[in-house]
Amino acid sequence: MNPFPIAWASLRRNSFTGVLFLLIVALAVALGIAISAQERALRIGSARAADKFDLIVAAPGSHNDVLFSTVYLDPTAVELLDPAITRLLFEEAEADFVAPIGFGDAIGSDPVVGTVAPFVDHLSGGLAEGRLFEDINEAVVGALSPHAVGNELEVSHGHGGATGTDADAAADAIEAGEAVPGGDGDHPHITIVGRMQPTGTPWDRAIVVPIEYNWAAHGLGTGHLPQDTHIGAPFDPDALPGLPAVVVKPKDVAAAYGLRAAYRTPQSTAFFPAEVLVELYALLGDATAIMSGLTLAAQALVVAAILAGIVAILDLQRQRFAVLRALGASPLFIFTTVWIYVAAIVVTGALAGLVLGWGAAWVVSDLLAQSTGVAMRAEIGARELSLVSTLVGLGLLLAVVPALIIYRRPVVDALR
Amino acid sequence: MPGLPLAVSGLRLAFAGADVIDLPSLAIAPGTMTVLSGASGSGKSTLLYLLSGLLRPDAGSIAWAGTDIALLGESRRDRWRRKEAGFIFQNFHLIEEMSPLDNVLVPIWLDSFSANAKRRRALDLLRQLDVPAERDSVAKLSRGQQQRVAIARALSGNPSIIFADEPTASLDAAAGETVAAILQRLAREDGRTVVVATHDPALKVLADQSLLLDHGKREPAP
Repeated sequence: MNPFPIAWASLRRNSFTGVLFLLIVALAVALGIAISAQERALRIGSARAADKFDLIVAAPGSHNDVLFSTVYLDPTAVELLDPAITRLLFEEAEADFVAPIGFGDAIGSDPVVGTVAPFVDHLSGGLAEGRLFEDINEAVVGALSPHAVGNELEVSHGHGGATGTDADAAADAIEAGEAVPGGDGDHPHITIVGRMQPTGTPWDRAIVVPIEYNWAAHGLGTGHLPQDTHIGAPFDPDALPGLPAVVVKPKDVAAAYGLRAAYRTPQSTAFFPAEVLVELYALLGDATAIMSGLTLAAQALVVAAILAGIVAILDLQRQRFAVLRALGASPLFIFTTVWIYVAAIVVTGALAGLVLGWGAAWVVSDLLAQSTGVAMRAEIGARELSLVSTLVGLGLLLAVVPALIIYRRPVVDALR
Repeated sequence: MPGLPLAVSGLRLAFAGADVIDLPSLAIAPGTMTVLSGASGSGKSTLLYLLSGLLRPDAGSIAWAGTDIALLGESRRDRWRRKEAGFIFQNFHLIEEMSPLDNVLVPIWLDSFSANAKRRRALDLLRQLDVPAERDSVAKLSRGQQQRVAIARALSGNPSIIFADEPTASLDAAAGETVAAILQRLAREDGRTVVVATHDPALKVLADQSLLLDHGKREPAP
């Protein structure tokens, strides 16, 4: 037997309703897929962004705040780390490098972050263009920064605020190795000398300056003796100012855990970004599980409602099925025809929903990446396929119900 | 395809305690056209459905060439109908979303996955019945043409018996005459057994045998 031509003709008979049912299934599935794929994209993107920040040491307080301000460059007020702790960190034999991180300035909406050249190199994995900064007034920009190598920029204090004043005087003072007159708000011009490789982090939009620039611009000296104009380590232990955070690259795993334990003191805290993210993901995961459950329940209800609608639609075609019976169609033929009819709507709707959901997640990921700087790519994974398979399986199983209802209709009554 | 002889005896069907069919005997010879007539509600369509195995009697036998279809289970009656019978209805009951050719192939799909082997025969039938096979939908055909597609569909499985329920009732006089002539030809020339439930006097004139029913009982011919 070949019930496909009849099923196809039945679908064409109420094509508008069929397409409507298909779209409803597609939208229900797309919602679940989008939530699931987006949540995973967010999780993977944020985890990847924190990858190169091996161990963060900061003043005691919220790990979340430090993580968000250091890794995701989210402007958050954090306590400054005692310079005595920074001094100890710079003397650590178990660290490959110690990178002070300073922030609080911006050019337009792009954050200006102070650090040391080895961390830029570590984060970027080599530059895409130009060179690392070698002078206090030089900067390296992130891969997505609109500023070109060779551009001169004026930094403003705070995020997206007004530009600084008396910038040239501050620059002269810094060049001379003196404390910047006027302190906070005096930001000399900087010249962009290099562009980082894409990192998939908000650092891709950042303007990265030597930490000395950051300190000097805030009237905190340069971390070196006044006559010392070099940038980067070693710093003068007595000239070190406080820092929002220090990123440490431990020599190995044992060193990482050792350093983490050593700097969890009343004066400082140390944490792996992953441990903070795991807590956040657990929270996010719970929310996602609840949303996924609700979505699946909504999808099941949608399928059940559609099946009820299909029974009504097919009931209008009962005469057609009765005629087929009169022509000799077996009940199995009628059952299979109706089952194919329902399955075609559910399966096509689910597949369309998969594509639609993936597309929606892709668009949302793109928008989120643009607003946060965290690279996100929505992908269809086993969880989404399992979600669709569950719904399709449920649909195919429930399709038996209208098939049973229709094939049991009395033939002669429908023929009269 | 030679037709099959029918022998009915003691046929009874009751509904809500009242007999709707009570037919002690009926014999139909192959190669003949038998007309079941009577007023509305007389039981002619019910008898047609009994003879075709769509309804099962409460008592009696319906023996087509010795096969008592009253004793067959549902699936065997379905198979018997697929093999031996073709059906024509008053309102044609074609599948509007299909072409004339595909409508004719429907009975083939009830049995086989591929209808390719029967495509030539279906086209020949449509040509013989003067129906344009190339139309994309039967809905675009005239009512007379649609009934002829329905006849071609009934013949596509090359059945021995043709059951027709008011085949001319919704046609104009000319189209009705054409259909009546075709049915007569199917009996006389092809040798099939044709059983028609109808009000149409033109069909009664062409019939080899006429059975007048009143409340499910055979009435003497006027």
